[in-house]
Amino acid sequence: MSKSERAQRREQRREAERAATAAAARRRRIRMLLGAGGLAVVLVVAGIAISASGGKAKPSPAATGSAAKVVAGIPEKDGVLGDPKAPITLTEYLDPQCPICAEASQQTMPTIIKDYVRTGKVKLQARTLSFIGPDSVRAAKVAAGAGQQGKEWAFLESFYAAQGEENSGYVTDDFLTDVLKAAGADPGKALAFADGASAQEALDQADAQAQGLKIDSTPSFTVTRNGDEKVVAVGLDDLQNKLEAALS
Amino acid sequence: MKLRAAAVVVALVGLGIATYLTIVHYAGSSPVCAIAHGCATVQKSDYAKLAGIPVAVLGVIGYLGILACLVRDSEATRTAAAFLAIGGLGFSGWLTYVEVAKIDAICIWCVGSAICMALLAGLTIARVLTSPPELAQVR
Repeated sequence: MSKSERAQRREQRREAERAATAAAARRRRIRMLLGAGGLAVVLVVAGIAISASGGKAKPSPAATGSAAKVVAGIPEKDGVLGDPKAPITLTEYLDPQCPICAEASQQTMPTIIKDYVRTGKVKLQARTLSFIGPDSVRAAKVAAGAGQQGKEWAFLESFYAAQGEENSGYVTDDFLTDVLKAAGADPGKALAFADGASAQEALDQADAQAQGLKIDSTPSFTVTRNGDEKVVAVGLDDLQNKLEAALS
Repeated sequence: MKLRAAAVVVALVGLGIATYLTIVHYAGSSPVCAIAHGCATVQKSDYAKLAGIPVAVLGVIGYLGILACLVRDSEATRTAAAFLAIGGLGFSGWLTYVEVAKIDAICIWCVGSAICMALLAGLTIARVLTSPPELAQVR
């Protein structure tokens, strides 16, 4: 074997070693990547399991029991809470499944109801929308049914307190019966009303009024003076001050 | 180097989004949202927290972790960055599914963060697969 042949073979051997090293490094990198990816997948699945089970637990009747107290003793007629002669009407456009509406009902509305509605300065009106989904439609119709008994606001407050995971199908007749009982309404009558055409008319009317004012999110609040309805607040931002400024 | 620089830029964008959502979360206000109602609905939903921790905070931690892994270049840090980005992408994917299928509201900031995580996953995986052999020696 000549000297040049030996050098050539040496070079070929080195080349093969380099290729083998590179291939081994690539295999190692792929193994590391698969390991990291696999571990990440395991952690993500665990996170999803925690996240998915983190939804609201099935509401207990105890949760709904005291919520209606905020409107207890205030007269209600056709979904309008308070003195019918009050010169100002505060209207809330809401969706029963809207979590921000529930937050507004807990954080802001008790003060508004106490200071303005109970004192006869303002009457409070609900316009129940149902854009979040099928559970909202059923809840809105039953809210209208409760309204026939002068219990729409009590129903809404009780419903908020028992809100479940949006559109999970939790708004069953059993659930609604519990909420209606907590609101002090007759479940049989309210559910029967919800099955009729009048309930759908109430929803259509609320939708039409919201569209007329270009309201596309909840909660939105309007104030009506002398028949002139104006949007005064949308969402939770600075809600208390906005409402107090609009009502004073 | 280009992959690393691109990953740093994307991670900084993602960190900005997650930081904004964290500030908004603790301030109790609603995020500025191009799609009416969606951001606040998502933020107030039950899925906005994981085991009591706001997901926006988890996002901040994730992006900071990825940025930390991008500071030093070794096979281990490249793999760790890929691990975080794949995990982040997986969880972002789940949250996007939740927005569309369960909450029925889209938070444009969350979608932006999910896009950042998707880009980071691609970039960091590419960095692992294209590591020069000498990086294996870096500890």
